[in-house]
Amino acid sequence: MNMKTLKEDAQSTGNLLLEIGALLMSSGASTHRTRVTLERIARGLGYGIELLITQRALMLTIIEKDQQHFFSRMKRISPHGVNFRMVSGISHLSWNVMEENWTVVQIWEEVKRLKSLPHYPRLVVLGLVGLAGSAFCNIFGGGFVEMTVAFIATVAGLFIRQEALRVKFNPYLCIFFAAFTASFIAGLAEHFKLGAEPDKAFATSVLFLVPGVPLINSVTDLMDGNIQNGMVRAMNGLLISFSIAMGLFSVKMILNF
Amino acid sequence: MIFLEIITKSFWAGVAAIGFAVLFNVPRRVIFPIWTLGALGGLIKFSVMHFDIGIVFASFLGAAAIGVASIKMAHMRHSPPLVFSIPSVIPMVPGFFAYKMMLGLIALARIENTDDYVQTLIQTVNNGTKMMFILISLGTGVAIPMLLTRKESIKKSKFNKNKKVVV
Repeated sequence: MNMKTLKEDAQSTGNLLLEIGALLMSSGASTHRTRVTLERIARGLGYGIELLITQRALMLTIIEKDQQHFFSRMKRISPHGVNFRMVSGISHLSWNVMEENWTVVQIWEEVKRLKSLPHYPRLVVLGLVGLAGSAFCNIFGGGFVEMTVAFIATVAGLFIRQEALRVKFNPYLCIFFAAFTASFIAGLAEHFKLGAEPDKAFATSVLFLVPGVPLINSVTDLMDGNIQNGMVRAMNGLLISFSIAMGLFSVKMILNF
Repeated sequence: MIFLEIITKSFWAGVAAIGFAVLFNVPRRVIFPIWTLGALGGLIKFSVMHFDIGIVFASFLGAAAIGVASIKMAHMRHSPPLVFSIPSVIPMVPGFFAYKMMLGLIALARIENTDDYVQTLIQTVNNGTKMMFILISLGTGVAIPMLLTRKESIKKSKFNKNKKVVV
């Protein structure tokens, strides 16, 4: 949005709130948190709002205190992947609006700054997620050889997933590719009998793909009474698990064990 | 040395939590707390399981501990609790059971022999229900402390009562 057209009116505030809500939902906040944060910001700016939050769209009506004017708009939520730096930043922002009387322009500047914050360097992510893979292998009782296999498989799988996401494959297909790559490498190790219990590496090489955020948020949403969003998230998690299983299954068919 | 094994496993649970934390792009200041929480959850879960208590209740206790600790951490490091709790709980997500259940479902689609079918069906249902109950216990375990302390954050917003309307 152009800075010069920003005014301290219901329309600008409504657009701003929709943007923040879409960012929160796509960054992995639960429905309740999104609602509470938006209501807090609106209250801080002196408006009342009514909200409809679904997984892929937001609907908002913003009402001025004297009930003379209201503004209503819908916004599509495009999925970006989990980003907790955004969730944390927006939480700070909402408190700043309450405590320090931030204006719409200030909030908009902060949202722009949060959007431009960098992600971790790719090598760091690959290395640490690889370590997480070998950590899973250790937890399930693998030795050092299996942990190394799990590390290599996880790094390769995550790399393939990042590349597939970059060229915009279907998200479930990206997960299938990643699961296939990771389990293929671990399966090769099993094929050539590397290590004492190679099946441990095979089972844990894909655990970095588990849909933890959709599944946990699904339970949170269901508990908060947002049944519809909870079911949508659960179904999403189930589809992701199914893609992972498909990747494993293909490797099992190819390597024949 | 069962204690040593539990401690090693908890250490690695913390490492796994950090892996997910980086994948989810958490702020840098919360990485070490997430390692602590992940290790704490693992420590509780593995210790409880050592006393022959089922994995479901063990996961619940681990998740509840993470939930309580994440609220303390949230006050210390100024980030919302879910930023701490979700990455630390994810090492406990029953990915292994989900994988077993999915393989079982795929097998059910092609098995012809009745005995094999029944056997696979039993295992699949067993893995599926285990997965479901562990997930529910993780979700509620993390959420219950938040529900109990929710008052605090409502109290915090008290100063808004006489807020001037900014138009």
